[in-house]
Amino acid sequence: MAAEMGLARSSRHWSRALRRRLLLLRRGTASDGCGCQNEALTSSKEGGDLGVGANEEEAVEVEARVRALQRLVPGGEELGTERLFEETADYIEALQVQVSAMRTLACLLDELREKRG
Amino acid sequence: MEKEGFWGLQWQSTGAKLPPELNSGPAVSDQLPQCFLHLNWKQPMAHDADFESALSSLVSSPCSNPPASADGSGIGELIGRLGGICNSNDISPSSRYRSADASCYGTPLNSPPKLNLSVMDHRHQGRGGPPMPVNRVPGPHLGPLSAEPGFEDGAARLSCFAGRSSGSFAGQFGFLEPGNLSEASRSESPKAGFGSCVGVGQSRSERPAHLETEMRSKIGGSSTAEESELGNGPVESSLSHRMTAEASSLRGIADNKSGKWKTAAKRKGREAPLSSSATNPPANMTEEENSDAKRCKSADRNGGAKNAAVKPKTEQNGDPGHREGMDNDHKPPEPPKDYIHVRARRGQATDAHSLAERVRREKISKRMKFLQDLVPGCNKVTGKAVMLDEIINYVQSLQRQVEFLSMKLTTLNPQMDVSMENFLPKDMYQSRGLMPQPVYPAEIGTVLSYAHQPQTIALQSVMTSGLEEQFSLNSLQSSLRQSQSMQHATTDAYTDAPSQLGGLWEDDLQSVAQTGFGQNHGQTHTSHMKIEL
Repeated sequence: MAAEMGLARSSRHWSRALRRRLLLLRRGTASDGCGCQNEALTSSKEGGDLGVGANEEEAVEVEARVRALQRLVPGGEELGTERLFEETADYIEALQVQVSAMRTLACLLDELREKRG
Repeated sequence: MEKEGFWGLQWQSTGAKLPPELNSGPAVSDQLPQCFLHLNWKQPMAHDADFESALSSLVSSPCSNPPASADGSGIGELIGRLGGICNSNDISPSSRYRSADASCYGTPLNSPPKLNLSVMDHRHQGRGGPPMPVNRVPGPHLGPLSAEPGFEDGAARLSCFAGRSSGSFAGQFGFLEPGNLSEASRSESPKAGFGSCVGVGQSRSERPAHLETEMRSKIGGSSTAEESELGNGPVESSLSHRMTAEASSLRGIADNKSGKWKTAAKRKGREAPLSSSATNPPANMTEEENSDAKRCKSADRNGGAKNAAVKPKTEQNGDPGHREGMDNDHKPPEPPKDYIHVRARRGQATDAHSLAERVRREKISKRMKFLQDLVPGCNKVTGKAVMLDEIINYVQSLQRQVEFLSMKLTTLNPQMDVSMENFLPKDMYQSRGLMPQPVYPAEIGTVLSYAHQPQTIALQSVMTSGLEEQFSLNSLQSSLRQSQSMQHATTDAYTDAPSQLGGLWEDDLQSVAQTGFGQNHGQTHTSHMKIEL
């Protein structure tokens, strides 16, 4: 969770969604549960637009993956495909930074432990 | 460190050939743009001091060394390089560039300084997509210029990328040499300029016509849609000045051909300076046909969309063969501003809906390309579905890594001074899916540690550490030893499907929070946990 808090600092849409989620966690709001109800209606609309000349099956596949991505990226359910990709890119970057920072920290701590014996 | 190897990202730090040339004009901090430029610059630059040579090589290089994929990626290379050039020159004389910037950087205007910081981090860590850091650097400078409402919400990178990719090469070029461009704009625009596509930057007289044509054909393919995303208010005037005669005549021809203008929903138009003087209509026609022929050969995406400059959405493509309006020499009257002008491609439907859809599709595919750059090992993958699969897998793996590392840091680095109410998740299990997973390890560690009754004191410390996980880049905490069983348990719990634990743990944790780890609750939880695990 602390790692998430580190991630939730930027001003991107996914980051704000993450902050909201963390705040809900903190405050223990019982009303949350339905947070993902606002499935992006726009995404359903955009399903057919995703592929250039994509046939039906491909479009359905792509749409399914887009929905999966929406679930992965915090706040993604409300986003259209286009914005979702943008947020995904930023989210991926932030995750990369986070992982690298945590890895560095872990290594440092390991070394410290070893030095301490 | 392994982190570099994990993603397989590498900086392509070529020699220092490029920056000196690009920074020849304004004094620019070498470091920041240098890395970005190197990242994007796959081919060595010619050692020309002046900017035009750099641009020429930029133009010709994609022709000579096209990337493996279709033209679009060549355009992407161009985009990245231009962005690099842009940024290299942009950093210091930002004030001068303001008028020219808007088109290029619609969104990053609002990107906060934090983004720049993260960009710096990326740079140092050798990570990051090609266009992103470039875009962020000039962000603060461009802040007030953003005019695109749709992109103001932090889509800095991509919209910048998109903006750059669109014929806002024009904007970029103007960006790069505002002084020259303004002069050129004032002066008579040379013949056979870049014309529609770039228009702006190409009004330099020295630029050879063939290069321009080439560039135009390459850039023409760049999504016309992108232009729509750029806030171009301030740029329009400069653009109109800089447009070459050919561009204006071309556009005029097209406009005349169509006979009417359709206005797109978004109103931005980069204005085609149809009003600029025309010098050589016949020469323009020739260029036009050349570029047209080139366009025909290129892929569909990059096919005929030769409209870097503003071009009204028209129904002019009723006759693809005459799309350029061969029989028109004079320019139409001043086109209306504030429209998104998209030229329909050759042989494609021209009604507003399909045009808008095409614009959208191009935007989406641009972003997909960007994501492709971001996710390692996706270059060979083709197809949206597979690509999306890769992206999803990558995001999931990153999230799992964060989760795992947070657990590892928890074991290495427990905290004693935690305020429990802040960190105890009361309602963490939402039906969102995977995202809550990273939260689980902390809770798992907490509850499991709590379950080990005999070690009450150790439990409390462990619990605090598990909960606390004050993971911030700046804080290092003292470490406590966790019991081996504790660690094993956490590992086991980690491997469990978190969703299974979800429902059961919620109440348990709530009670834990409320009671402050009373024994009774612990036993209850223990029983629950034993069942679960």
